[in-house]
Amino acid sequence: MKIIQTAIAAGLVASMLAGTALAQDKTLNMIVIEGGDTTAMQAVADAYKAAHPGVTINLQPYPFAQFFQVAELRLRSKDAGIDLVYVDAPLVASYASRGFLSPFDASVDTSTLVTSALDAGKYEGNQFALPINNSAQVLFFNKTLFANAGITPPDGLTAGETASQAQVDELAATKRWTWEQVADAAQKLTVKDGGRTTTYGFTVEQFGELYQLQPFGESLGTDVIGPDGYTAKGYLDSEAWTKAATYWANLYNEWGVSPKSLGYGEAAQLFGNGQLAMMAGGTWNLPGLEASGVDFGVAPYPYFEGGKVVTPTGSWYVGVNAASGNQAEAVDFAKYLTTSAEGTKTWFDSLQQLPTYKPLLDEISTAAAFDSFPQDVFRLGVYDSLNTAKARPVTAAYGQLQDAFRTAFVDIANGVAVKDALASAVQKFEAAAARVAP
Amino acid sequence: MTRSRSPVLLIAALLTPALIGLVVFRLYPIALAANDSFFNVLRGQPVFVGLDNYVALLTDSVFWNSLKVTFWFNLLINPIQIALALGLALLYVQNFKGVTLYRVLFLIPIGVSLPTAVLIWRIMLSQDGLVNGVIGIAGVPAQPWLTSEALALYSIIAIATWKGISYWMIFIIGGLQNISPEIYDAARIDGIKPWQRLVYITIPLLRPTLLFVLVADVSINFLLFAPIFMLTQGGPADSTNVLMYEAYKSGFIFGDMGRAMAVIVVVVAILLVIVGLQFKLLSGRREAKR
Repeated sequence: MKIIQTAIAAGLVASMLAGTALAQDKTLNMIVIEGGDTTAMQAVADAYKAAHPGVTINLQPYPFAQFFQVAELRLRSKDAGIDLVYVDAPLVASYASRGFLSPFDASVDTSTLVTSALDAGKYEGNQFALPINNSAQVLFFNKTLFANAGITPPDGLTAGETASQAQVDELAATKRWTWEQVADAAQKLTVKDGGRTTTYGFTVEQFGELYQLQPFGESLGTDVIGPDGYTAKGYLDSEAWTKAATYWANLYNEWGVSPKSLGYGEAAQLFGNGQLAMMAGGTWNLPGLEASGVDFGVAPYPYFEGGKVVTPTGSWYVGVNAASGNQAEAVDFAKYLTTSAEGTKTWFDSLQQLPTYKPLLDEISTAAAFDSFPQDVFRLGVYDSLNTAKARPVTAAYGQLQDAFRTAFVDIANGVAVKDALASAVQKFEAAAARVAP
Repeated sequence: MTRSRSPVLLIAALLTPALIGLVVFRLYPIALAANDSFFNVLRGQPVFVGLDNYVALLTDSVFWNSLKVTFWFNLLINPIQIALALGLALLYVQNFKGVTLYRVLFLIPIGVSLPTAVLIWRIMLSQDGLVNGVIGIAGVPAQPWLTSEALALYSIIAIATWKGISYWMIFIIGGLQNISPEIYDAARIDGIKPWQRLVYITIPLLRPTLLFVLVADVSINFLLFAPIFMLTQGGPADSTNVLMYEAYKSGFIFGDMGRAMAVIVVVVAILLVIVGLQFKLLSGRREAKR
């Protein structure tokens, strides 16, 4: 009920704000995620306003935990009080299939955007959302903890060194650690003191999330669901995923190297405090970890021995609410945000997320400003996004998949048998997905 | 002549605000839910599907498991809460040394908002939390209170009980204070034992109060959502997946409002039957005795 009330209140406030704007001025309303994303979007909105007097972008920020529900409710109720929507990549199909978003037409030049990122914004051949940025995951390691334990850390990028794109490419192509190496080192790095773990060997940043863990099984050769988007049998319960999930189970139970049930941001806190030796996480942690003072290095995202290198990718998109009365203006801002040199640069400078705008990627690869640590980590992102990145599955039942997947992997970490948890996830996903399959 | 007409008008005038509230905040949403349960949204368009959403629930193992969890949860939590609230209320009206401190302690949970209480309990029940620390002193190994299939539901029952009993205790205290002391005096003269006093005097005379507490408590616990949403999201392995959470997940995470509303209508129907039975059993017996 709280959420509905918040949504209604926000809607009322928004329509009042829109109503008070001067007649000749246009105000576009956009819902975004609170925090750094809002700061960055405000910077782009200010730059846009400077170049386009008369159009104001009014941001309506929501906390991450509420954002998806608010977006779902407001889009479903055809709320004309929002023009632009911040869209998570895998939700594009779900929104588009229900007519929430207006497709972008050929007037939007997308040739400067990374193809894989563009594809993830398509549904049935139409471009429903434009990529704002990409994401890349890496393996952060605490150099001090490795040195104290006398273990050789993975090859990676560290403070005080510089790396050209060619050097980073070589590192990513030939010196990437396997998950087996991670497990081996993590067991040696974990310190237990009378039943309590004082130093954890390894954790993933996003506990149980598909975004983070999709490469686990896919590195072993099997997609998480079938190409139709609604079948999980033979995929999520395959031999590859059983092996991947068993590795996951061992992290928490057999080896006890990972902390259970980490909340949002807690892994980075542990790492910053020096209580965690390795963390598989996003490049967005770099500013926070730099500030924490921990002595760390950055290695490429691991893969399973004998398997393929697959890395997480995909991030936030912008879409135009189909119910908006300002279609042309909204499309123009979306274009500025995603396909203009100024818009993408303003965004990148503020948020430090891997871009999808190709000229900006070229700049990262070649500009001297990206030679030194930690800026050179973005070169690792460039390599992965061009070579190993694999988008999340396109399905109108993504919410169902994400939930079934998270439930299974959280349960497995908590000791539920791997086979049972995966079988239950397959059954639950297929039952729920069948209800929204066209 | 005017005097005979005025009570009707007065009654109507006094009841109107409450009735409007009842219609707007209770009946209308229920009607809306019932209506939405006959539709599915396909490609943005609502499509009338008749009873399909209900028929689908019949063969839906997630729904049946959720129903089972909801019943088990309520079979445990309601008797526990009412028994404890009754016990606390009986202690509350006693006069002994330190009773004021005792009264204050048990009124605190009422002042704490549910989300705050849930957050505090989440920290206390974590792997390295206070509860495991305390049982560790006694040599008991740390327990995964909220993350094990065997314990999570009971942990939630404990938290909801901690939060809820003081509230119900207040109503029961009111009921206890309504019992005329002369009855107890008479009983004492007859040489009654304390347990007989409780079973034959206190509880029968508390029946109207207990009926209210029972009905209200069952309704609240049937619709309990916040602790599950905040602590376990229905897990581990669906062990805390009550119908309210299942409906929320269906509607707000999966965008499947038709199924969510069908589940809600089922919850409302079950609740109506249970509350109806409670009224019949508790008030019916009293009338028979009279």
